[in-house]
Amino acid sequence: MSLTGRWWTLASVLLLCGVSGAGSPVPQNSGKRIRVAMIPKLKGISYFNACERGAREAAEELGNVQLIYDGPLKGRVDDQIRIIDNWITQKVDVIAFAANDPDAIAPTLKKARQKGIHVIGYDADANPKSSGREFFVNQATFQAIGYELVDEMARQVGPRASVALISSDLNAPNQKEWTKWMKKRMKEKYPQMKLVAEKYPGEDRQRAMRMTQEVLNAFPDVKGVWGISSVAFPGAADAVKQMGLKGKVAVVGLSTPKDMRPFVKDGVVKTVILWNPVDLGYLTIYAARAVYDGTLKRGMKSFKAGRLGTVKVDGDQILLGPPMKFDRSNIDKFDF
Amino acid sequence: MSHPVARNLLRDSVLLVLLILTGFVMSRLSPDFLTSANLLETTRHFVEVGLISLAMTFIILSAGIDLSVGSNVALCAVMLGQACAFWRWNVWGAAALALGIGTCAGAFNGVLIAKLRLPPLVVTFITWQTFRGIAEGVSKGNAVSSFPASFAVLGQHSVGGVPTQFLIFIVACVVSYIALSRTQWGRFVYAIGNNEAAARLSGVPVDRVKILLYALSGFMSACAAVILVSRVSTARSDMGDGYELDAITAVVLGGTNIAGGEGGIIGTILGLLIVSAVRNGLSLANTQTGNYPNELQAVIIGVLLIAAVWLGRRVQK
Repeated sequence: MSLTGRWWTLASVLLLCGVSGAGSPVPQNSGKRIRVAMIPKLKGISYFNACERGAREAAEELGNVQLIYDGPLKGRVDDQIRIIDNWITQKVDVIAFAANDPDAIAPTLKKARQKGIHVIGYDADANPKSSGREFFVNQATFQAIGYELVDEMARQVGPRASVALISSDLNAPNQKEWTKWMKKRMKEKYPQMKLVAEKYPGEDRQRAMRMTQEVLNAFPDVKGVWGISSVAFPGAADAVKQMGLKGKVAVVGLSTPKDMRPFVKDGVVKTVILWNPVDLGYLTIYAARAVYDGTLKRGMKSFKAGRLGTVKVDGDQILLGPPMKFDRSNIDKFDF
Repeated sequence: MSHPVARNLLRDSVLLVLLILTGFVMSRLSPDFLTSANLLETTRHFVEVGLISLAMTFIILSAGIDLSVGSNVALCAVMLGQACAFWRWNVWGAAALALGIGTCAGAFNGVLIAKLRLPPLVVTFITWQTFRGIAEGVSKGNAVSSFPASFAVLGQHSVGGVPTQFLIFIVACVVSYIALSRTQWGRFVYAIGNNEAAARLSGVPVDRVKILLYALSGFMSACAAVILVSRVSTARSDMGDGYELDAITAVVLGGTNIAGGEGGIIGTILGLLIVSAVRNGLSLANTQTGNYPNELQAVIIGVLLIAAVWLGRRVQK
């Protein structure tokens, strides 16, 4: 082979590498085997068990991710910090956290970043500034949940009904945000829908039930009630059931399928809105791998995550997608 | 083996062997265990409970108990956060306030126990709930995280590679050891634990010693709170939950008789180190193999405790 020939070979090889590198993302099973350490807020509760199941599924699928899963047995912040510190000592490749306290966990995460460990959050974010975490896997945006709650209500009672809202504490951050988006959706898409009462029973199921009863007595034309916390929803459903209004007053809300199963079976509640924690865990591991490989960086609009397909990325937020609905047909398949 | 000092020496030697053995096993399980970086970093996690265990040793030696320490940590942490964030105090002034409040809370336990002659278990069980109740009420369940960066010096920085709080702990250990074994006050503590009535008759100022003991315990809880807040840059009302049990674990594992009168500081320190080595070592090993989760650590510490109490009984005979 002549000298020019050799140069040509070299050039074409380089070109091929360049093309394959730019045209398709790095094949998922090609990277080096990495250790991803995942910490829940609390170990041993069904919600996070579901996350773990999804994470294990993803790790197995990828084949080059060793998943380390551990967390506090009680919700103690310093236990979470102790576990993460040990992971830093061992120089794991990626840490995926669900923070018990957004600020308390931050210095430890910062330390991990300084040691070159990738850090992403899921389910409960840390302070993005002081922790230096790279991405947060967001299970559902406030907007998506708020809109879905209103759309689902409109589907069940029509766009012109009178409705009531049973919330949590007046200052509960999640509920505040959801309510903001719910009202926006009503104004823009269902201007005739009338919100006649908003109640704040706190995190107290009995009070939620009593307040729902009061509302239904005071406003007999109410056709639908939102219960937007994991206690307000069953509380409102209880009230409707006990007043014999099943089928006449719809109850729509946000809670875990496990808590709402009896009401769904009973027919008092048609759909439960939430996200799928199994998918949340699954997506977190795919995101961890992609962040490590460099196939997911700030500024990207999407990335590929196995069976979830192309997942949207917005700034430092990785979006799991639209909320999930649980009804009579699928609620038995979920044990969280 | 009848002399208490000789018995202490024997017990401490057994514990030292146990600690070395634990260290050996853990270094086999994880190569990262026996590195200076890991060992130094780990000290950050036990200093808070460690300070409380020192005071707890005194109290258990005097045949008392203090269950309120963890709640006192929460109370002090919350007050520190309040003063700093809402009253706009200088953070060190706020820390001094926390130390004052913790000491007063402890002295309050002491007065109820010494003057009203109420059992320590009952008094501190009540304040265990009250102190946390106050902490929750004052903070309304909200966390405070707006501390100046300079405050991190206690919990997140190092002096010559050694975590600041570990240096504080070493000083506290030395002072406690001297106070207990070289001063009249230390002998009073043992005397009260051995036989309170006899101590009273022979002129030991029992009430004063007791009030001082519980005030000291409160002070140590407050120190733990200040260090903890500095370490995690956050003050919350759920902090310190379970610290009372962690501290009692170290003291009992360290060979101090839960009924009082026998034991010492060195045993407590060794007990603390053994628990910490087990937790850290298994945690590291778990990262590698997944075979040693948190749940197993609790079981192993439980087994060690039973062995320590059984051994303690044997030595006493």
